[in-house]
Order: sequence, then structure tokens, then C-alpha cells
Amino acid sequence: MQGTPIAALAIVVTLTSPALGGDQPVIHWSFQTPVRPAVPVPAELEHGDGVRNAIDAFVFAKLEEKRLTPAPLANRHTLVRRAYFDLLGLPPSPDQVKKFVEDSSDSAWLALIDELLESKHYGERWGRHWLDVTRYADTHGFESDISCPNAWRYRDYVVQSFNADKPYDQFVQEQIAGDEIWPDNLDLDPKQVWTLSDEKRRHLNARIATGLYTFGPEISESAMDARRQKYARLTDWVDTTSSAFLGLTMACARCHDHKFDPITQHEYFGLQAVFASSAPVKILVIHPMAYSEWLDSYPRITRAGEAVKSYKIFEQKIGGRELNEEEKARKQKLLANIGKLILELPVSSYTQQEELYDPLMGLPTATVLGHDRPELVKPVHRLERGELYSVKERIHPGLPHVLTEATGGDETLPETFGCRKKLALWMTRPDHPLTARVMVNRIWAWHFGHGIVSTPNDFGTRGQPPSHPELLDWLATEFVAQGWSVKALHRLILRSSTYQMSSRFVSHENSATDPTNRYLWRMNRRRLEAEALWDSVHTVAGTLNLKMGGRPVVPALADDEIAALREPWHWPVSADPAEHTRRGIYIMVRRNFRFPMFDVFDVPIASVSCPERNVTTVAPQALWGLNNRSVFRQAQEFAGRVVRKTGDDPDRFVDHAWKLALARAPTAREKSEALTLFHNFVNKAQEGAAVGPVAEPLENPPASLAALPGERAAALVKLCLGIYNLNEFLFID
Amino acid sequence: MLNPNDVLISPDGSEHPESLLSRRQLLKRSSLGFGALALGDCLLRDGFVRASGEAGNSLSQNPLAVRPPHFGGTAKNVIFLFMQGGPSHVDTFDPKPALVKYDGKLLPEDLRDFDLAQINTADATMMASTAKFRRYGQSGMEISNLFKNVARHADDLAIIRSCYHDNFIHGPAITFMHSGTALLGHPTVGAWVVYGLGCESDSLPAYIAMTDRVFRNGPNMYTSGFLPAVYQGTYLKTEGAPIQNLSRPRQLAAREQRILMNQIRAWNERHLGERPDDSRLSARIQNYELAFRMQTAAPDLIDIAQESKSTRDLYGIDTEPTARFGRMCLLARRMVERGVRYVHLVSNGWDAHFGCKENHAKQSAKTDIPIAGLLTDLKARGLLESTLVVWAGEFGRTPIRQGNDGRDHHPYGFSSWMAGGGIRGGKTIGATDELGFHAIEDKVHVNDLHATLLSLLGLNHEQLTYFFEGRDFRLTDVGGDNNLAERLVL
Repeated sequence: MQGTPIAALAIVVTLTSPALGGDQPVIHWSFQTPVRPAVPVPAELEHGDGVRNAIDAFVFAKLEEKRLTPAPLANRHTLVRRAYFDLLGLPPSPDQVKKFVEDSSDSAWLALIDELLESKHYGERWGRHWLDVTRYADTHGFESDISCPNAWRYRDYVVQSFNADKPYDQFVQEQIAGDEIWPDNLDLDPKQVWTLSDEKRRHLNARIATGLYTFGPEISESAMDARRQKYARLTDWVDTTSSAFLGLTMACARCHDHKFDPITQHEYFGLQAVFASSAPVKILVIHPMAYSEWLDSYPRITRAGEAVKSYKIFEQKIGGRELNEEEKARKQKLLANIGKLILELPVSSYTQQEELYDPLMGLPTATVLGHDRPELVKPVHRLERGELYSVKERIHPGLPHVLTEATGGDETLPETFGCRKKLALWMTRPDHPLTARVMVNRIWAWHFGHGIVSTPNDFGTRGQPPSHPELLDWLATEFVAQGWSVKALHRLILRSSTYQMSSRFVSHENSATDPTNRYLWRMNRRRLEAEALWDSVHTVAGTLNLKMGGRPVVPALADDEIAALREPWHWPVSADPAEHTRRGIYIMVRRNFRFPMFDVFDVPIASVSCPERNVTTVAPQALWGLNNRSVFRQAQEFAGRVVRKTGDDPDRFVDHAWKLALARAPTAREKSEALTLFHNFVNKAQEGAAVGPVAEPLENPPASLAALPGERAAALVKLCLGIYNLNEFLFID
Repeated sequence: MLNPNDVLISPDGSEHPESLLSRRQLLKRSSLGFGALALGDCLLRDGFVRASGEAGNSLSQNPLAVRPPHFGGTAKNVIFLFMQGGPSHVDTFDPKPALVKYDGKLLPEDLRDFDLAQINTADATMMASTAKFRRYGQSGMEISNLFKNVARHADDLAIIRSCYHDNFIHGPAITFMHSGTALLGHPTVGAWVVYGLGCESDSLPAYIAMTDRVFRNGPNMYTSGFLPAVYQGTYLKTEGAPIQNLSRPRQLAAREQRILMNQIRAWNERHLGERPDDSRLSARIQNYELAFRMQTAAPDLIDIAQESKSTRDLYGIDTEPTARFGRMCLLARRMVERGVRYVHLVSNGWDAHFGCKENHAKQSAKTDIPIAGLLTDLKARGLLESTLVVWAGEFGRTPIRQGNDGRDHHPYGFSSWMAGGGIRGGKTIGATDELGFHAIEDKVHVNDLHATLLSLLGLNHEQLTYFFEGRDFRLTDVGGDNNLAERLVL
């Protein structure tokens, strides 16, 4: 362990921690309010002419210090593809590429950034990043893996918040204490019975934000006693709050004080006490008038429900045997009756039909954080060794002393209502030492592939020190100064030369000094995340359904994919095939069964906050690209789409396919190789069974392909399958 | 620094002169100066590029080619049985009769000076083992009834009772056991082994990991860390189909797939040529070749229906609660048989903070028969001689009581065992103190354990290095001096 940063850090702490009798207490860097550092003067830097903003000044100064040479800027084809994937998680269309590449004006890049930040698909990309941090899932996990049918409202809230560039301080406040800070409900304004004011809508959204605390991992076996369940819940809430918002891993402080941990066990339970009176509650999310419509329709709803019951009874009676003619007719009649009764449900004036009557017998609700009745609230005690039954002194809500030293102020909190509010307002103070730093570091890491602090969920004494401490503090103070605007931060980052550097710059000297590119002497090449890969495959095929929001969707799976599911009914495939090609963010997240393609491409297990995704490179990923049925189907759609545009002239086909998938034209060599491949496929097909087993014809090809001779259509599909499997398709320079 | 609008795009789409290097130039460079870097290392490993250094399309790139060991090792393959959560040493492989006498008593003053995850040593009382130990085999080695089936192999086992490190929290302790350091980003043992020896199968991954529930530390438990990505472990599912997408779409004939893959490879290699120092790209090219061959090899590997009834029974595959871990153990044997170098199996659920007795009874019911079956089966097939089987958790458990009947994490003295791979069994190495707290005799640090494992494979742990961030790294950091290999094979 000698010579490692951890060992070195441990020594510093050992020598200086007051608890250990050192006489020079030093406050850990991240527990002190950031002070805005002076920006290095570009003129004094070796590569100062490349400096476009403060980010570059800090980065280039560090490169100079480390004797590293910055990479040249990337070309425009690379930049446009990088920006689309980074901000939207989607590939640019050939027209979008053309527009940017052909506009050589200085403002083209700025205009592109603005355009992408205005896209509503930006929120889906960046919202998904945030969902990793808040361990989002649609089920609670463990053996029974019961559903959280409303969790998606939180997911949609996150997407909308990013799209609206909601100030991050407000975003934090809403998630921790939306119900306490905006203690409103949908009760009608007596003067405005018919409409819901925007203000009330905002307040409703703030409450939905607290859904964060309702879809955590939870054991729901009956054997769990209520105290243990509450304790497990409080543990998850405090761990998630501290990891997500404070970038502190507090789990260790639960059991007892540790030498290197600045948070004491007492303080840890002080945070549990903040949440002690809170409990998930279900609220209606429809306009009260819509609710009265629902009540009005209740007999009709019941009638439809009864019709469903009749059909079930019929099915039971049949028990799976073959139907005779009379029974077939009866079945038709029963089904038709259900349809008719559902169609007879009155149209709502206030809420979308689907929202009001789906699921049929329920009402649209959100599960949010509320409060237990005061008489039911159990006081929190310090638990010796974190054991439930080793109860020690009573603990009142409180903030960690090591952090309030920086912010000053009152450490006492109210016992019940208003307690989370105070926590949230304290966390979002402009002088808070962690909140802004942690978020700018996350955003940085999602842009560059690693953070300035390489442990984004651990800014504590056991985390890694920042590679660019001044830059981190400058960004944190700038973030607050810009009204906690996430989009302003994106603009700042994307406008820098640092962001626009080439990833293809090879420097042996640089690699020798800094093999992991910690100091950003070039851009990091990124492998697409699972969702971005899914979205790309479908975008290129022209099949991506860009509908936003709503209940999670459930795509069909192949037999070998579904085999790992314990209960087949846990994967209720969406009836509408158009739902199978929605963006990856909308696919149902089950804690104990990950969507198989996502599993192969490193989607995190949603058990705890995930600060940074792993990127593995393994053979099952190649098998997915080569053999997965849905990939082949999308290759068919891809080929069909190209043929619709270019006809089956292979020359033009190759051109367009390349532009769709790789955002560039093929080189002359690539084109001739692609054509050879195409002719090879056609020839192989024509050779027939004489030389070996032949391929089966395409299944349900799109019309444009069905109109072509079979072997030509199939050859084009296979060419498209090849493109999906290129490293260039999966990696973004 | 160039202005983005000035950047020239060369006719072949490359961005700047650096990337216009031909492969020949690249190799020349690598031999001149940066051969020790990831790039050089990756490209120049045996067979990765032809010795002639020829530019062009046919890199017979194989960083997984079999390489001779540093010296004659006795083992060729490893099956690592990782007991996640930390099994109690005093209830399994390290009998402590003195604990009976001290049961319920406070810890002696002189034993209180260490940290535990959840227990304060000042007011903790000791807890005797509820397991029954007896002597097994010719060697008379003492093992508890929790592993009475494994114990039938006592004369093949070398039990190490003096393992230790100082990480008492699962996360870092698991990382320590897997990578020889608590820091993330370092390669795991399997990655080092494959880096050192290559793989004998060209149709299955060299390094395979499986778990009966989760990998507590995720892919960090089979990562290649800073080694090239091709040395990463591949994880197979143990529920449903272990490997998905093994069969070609019916619309793609075998010969068509081959010509398609040749072209994909040519394009990917050209892409790599312009991005030569990214080992993920070369690993992915490798993965396609491997995937192609896995289409035939893997269905055969996972088809355990081929096994006889008696073999299935040996592993307890058709009965609960052994079915899952039994299936993993049987697959491990089939992998080793087919040349997979390193198989990593994880058993979940050993973290017995409450009800240690019940917990361990449940855990042993799941694993004892499968592991014993694995040893029997390997031996019957003549594979045990060359296959090193290692059993260990990330730590042991306290001789102290937690709550009424639990035990806390305990890294300061715990047990592991090895079998096969040329080891002469019936040996007991090292000891903890009278009460099972600290390793005191012949202490075996995790680095020593890893050094031993490498030596048995013929790898010198001081020579198996990788140059990264300006220095040579090795699995054993600066440790590994108490290498047991020589003693184990005697």
C-alpha cells in the first residue's frame, strides 16, 4: 500500500485529526466552502492561444505543470457526432451533420449547442444520468420484487426538470422536501373551480419529486417486522441522500465512529431522525373535477370490470381445452362486451382518457413522501453497532457538525414537519461546501468520462482528491453564480477547447506520464451506454418511437433472454409493438431482472446510488450484435429505410447507410469493400443449397425490401447488420 | 492549438498527422520508445501482430495466445470459490476449543486493540462455535460438520489458518481479495493469470465469473483494471440460459456470417489503426472472433444434460438447496476441461451478523455437496492434478458474539484452503491465537496467498508486472514474501 494516495491520505488524517490527538487539526478540503480561485492568465500559458474560457485556462495550466501536450481540436464531423450523443444520446441525422459541417462560421458550434439543449430529448439523456444517482427502479427488489407502479412519475419529473433547466438548488429542494416547502395540494381555489393553476401544478410536481424516497430497495416479506423495515428504509434514505446530494458515503458511520470518518455515529442517526416522521403516501394526481367524473362513471367502470370477470370465469371453465363452435362464439361475445363497455366510458374533460381509466379499476396516483400521523412516529435512537435492538440514547434531527462549520448557522431542526425542509434549504445554501461541487463534478464526469474527483459519490476523506482542485472550485462557484443552471454549465463546458479536443491524438510522452488521461490532454473516447446503443440502433433503423413519458414499456424478449426471469408474468410485454421501440430510459427497470441487453452493456444494479457506470468489453456483447433477433429485425428496418430513400442501387445505398449510422460518408475503399460484400451475399444466395445450408428468407420485411428480389434485399440487410457491429458505431471519438 | 474551423479533414477522414501513421510506422515507433506502454504491450504480445510487423489487414492478433510460464508450475487452471460475505473460520476450518471455556466472557484486555465493522471490542463477549469439529482423513485434519462432505477430501486439502489483512468492510475487503489492494481500478487475479499464461481455449473466454446471486462489487470482481481490456472476465448467468444470443438468426447462413465477420473485422482493424492506443477497441475485435467460435463451443459447454445421472447427483444438481451452486461447480469443471484458464465462482450470503449458526447451516447446505462433488469429479477425471481449487471469503468472522447469536467481520485471522494443482494435501498451514483472533504463526497475507497461487501456475509474482503510470505494478504490490508454493507441493 505504500505510495498509494489512500495510504498517504490516511497518514495526513492520522497526524492531524483532533480525535487522534494531533495538534494541527486540518479541515478536509471538501468540507470548506469553495473560494473562487483566480483564473490563470492565458497569455502566460504555453498553449494560451487555445484558451477559450476559464475551463481551458485551468486545464492548460495543469497540462503545462505536468508537461503534457494538449491534443488538437477534433474535426467537425467528430464534433457534431460527439455533441449529439453527449447531449441527446441520439445520433445526428445526415441533414443535421451536413448543416453543421457546411457552416464554417464561428457561431455554428454555439448554435448547435443551443439547439441541442433546447431539444426535449436532452432531458431524457441527462435525466437518465440522474436516475443512476438516485437508484431509480420500477420494482423494490429482493425475492418478491414487488412493483412500484408510480415510480415512472418521478422519472418523468426528472426528465422535465432537466428540460426546463430547473435551477439545481430547487431540484434538490423538491426531491428532499417538495411536500414541506410547497405544502400545497390540489384543493380547488374557490374562485377557480374549473382549472388548475400553474402554481398548483408546480406544487404537485414538487411533491412527485419526493417519489425518490418511495422506490428504494425494500424487502416486503411478511416475516419482516415493522421496526426492521422502517430501519432499513431510513438507512436507504440517508445513504441515498448523502450519496446523491452530498457526495458522501455515510454507510460506515451507521455502525460506529471510525477513525477516518468525519461523520460520527451520533450525527448519522441525526440524519435518520430527519426522516423519522416521513412515510410514503399515495396521492391522486388528477384534477378534482376529473375525480368527480371518475366517481360519476363508477358504475360503468364496475360494469367493465364485471365483464372482465365474466370472461375470466369462462376461461377457467374451459381450462385450456379446445373450444367447440358454440364456445368460440361465446368467447367472441364476452371479449366484444369488454371492449364495448370500455369504449362506453365517458370522455374526461380534464384528464386524458388513458390516464383516467388505466388501469381500469384504479385511479391515477403518485407515491410521494408525506408524514406519518404524529402519534405513530417512533423516536430515533442511536443503535450501538448499528444493531436494531442495541438501543442507546435518543437522537434528535441534526446536521453533521463537520459540514455546518463551513455554513455556520443553526444545527437544530424541528422534530417532524418542516425538518426535511430545513435540511434541503441548508444543503442548497450557496456557501454549502459540497452540494455545488458534487453536482458540477457529476456533470463534468458525464461529459468527459471521469470526474475531477474520480469518486463522484465520495468527497469524504476516503475519496480521491481532485485532479484540478482550482477548476472544481471555480466551476462550483460559477454554477451557483449562474443560478444553479445546469444548462449554463453545459454551455461553458462544450464551448471550451478542452471539450473539443480530439480523442485520436496519440502522444507517447503524454501516455507515459498520464496513461488514464486524468489531466485531459485529449478527449476520452466513449463507449455508448446501453440506452444510447439501444436508441442508436433504432434511430438508424428509423423505428425509434420518440413518444415521451408515461408507464414503463416492456419489449418482447427472445426465449433465451426470458429464461432467467423467475416469474414470466413479471415481464408483461406491451401490447402495442410501437411501444417496444421507445427510448431505453422508458424500458421497465426491474431490480431483480435487468432487461437482458442492458445487463450485457453494464446498466447499474439499482440497489444503491451509482456514480459512474462500468464499461466492460466482453464477448456476450459481440454475440448480442451478431445474433440478437431484435438487432436483426432492426437491420431489416434500417435497410428498408435506406432503400426507400435510395432505391436498391448498392452504390447509393452504401453512401446513405454510412451517413445514417456513422455520420459520415464512406471512404472510396470502404465503399468498394461494401459493394463487394453485397455482391458476395447475392452470389452466395444464388449458389444455393449446393454448397451448404442456405439462409431462410427475410421475415416480414418492410415493404420497400419486399418489393426487391429476395437475395438482393437480404444482402442489403446483412450489410446493415455489419454496420451495427462496427466499433465506430459503438464508440464516440 | 488549432481553431476547430481550421481543422483539415484529410481525404480518408483522419484528423491529424498523428493518426495517419501506418501500422508499420506505428510498430516502428513502439519498438523505439513506448514498447512498455499499454499500446506496445498489447500489440506486441505474442502473435498480436506478425513478427514481420507487416502492415495491413491480417493482424493475427492474439494477446490470449498460450505463453510459457516463468518456470515449471504444477497447476494450469484455477477454480476460485469465493464465499461472499465472509464465512466464520472458527465454525468451519479453524477449531477453537478454548472458546467454549470463554463463552460469554468479555474479551481479554490485551485482545481489544483492533477495529471491527459493527462491534465495539470493549463490551463484547466471546461466543463458542456451535459446529462440531472432528478429524478427517489420514492426515487427521480437523474440519467442522458444516463441511463434512468437503472434509472427505481432507487428504487433498491444504488449509491455511493464518490468512489476514486489515479491511473489515465488505467493499474494500472484497477488492483486496480479488486485486491484492483495496484500491479500485486494479486487475483481478484472473486477469493477471490470463495476462501471464494466455488461454488454451480459442472458443471460450479465458476467464469466466459466475455468481449464485450478485457480485457485491459488480464488475470490479472480474475486471482487467489497468491491464488491456481483453483480460477482463466474462460473466455468465446462472439462471436461465448462461449465455444468450448463441444461435445465428435463421436468415443468416453460416458461410454468410463468416464473410460478414471478415469484413467487420477488416473495418474495425482499420478503425483501430487510427486509434491505436485504445485497448477496448482491440479487445472488441478479439471478442468478435471469440463470439464466432462460442456459437459452437458454448452450447456444448452449457449442455449439462450430457452429464450422467451419477455426475449430476455428485453435484446435487437435481435437488435443493444445492441445485444452483452445484450447477455452477459442474459448469466450472466443464470449463476447465475445455481450456478455460480461470473460473471464478461466487457464493452469496455468508454475512452472518445475526443467527450465525442458522446462517452457516443454510450456506453449507448450499455449497458443501457441490464443492465436494467438484473435487471428486475433478479427481476422477484426472483434472485435479492440474486444476488449483481455492476456497476463501473476503474475511472470517469474529470469535466475539454480535447481538445474541451473530458474528461480525474479521480480517485479522481467517481460513482458506487450496486443493489440486499439484498440491500435496493433508496439510495445515499457520495458526491463529488460542481464541481465533489474530493470525500468529506463519502469517499469510492476501498478497502471500496470491503469490502462492501464481507460483503454483509457474508465474513469479515479482516478474509478472505491468507498466502503468510510470511504474511496474504487480498483483502482490510489495508483499508476497511468504510464498507457500514450495511447501504445498512437497
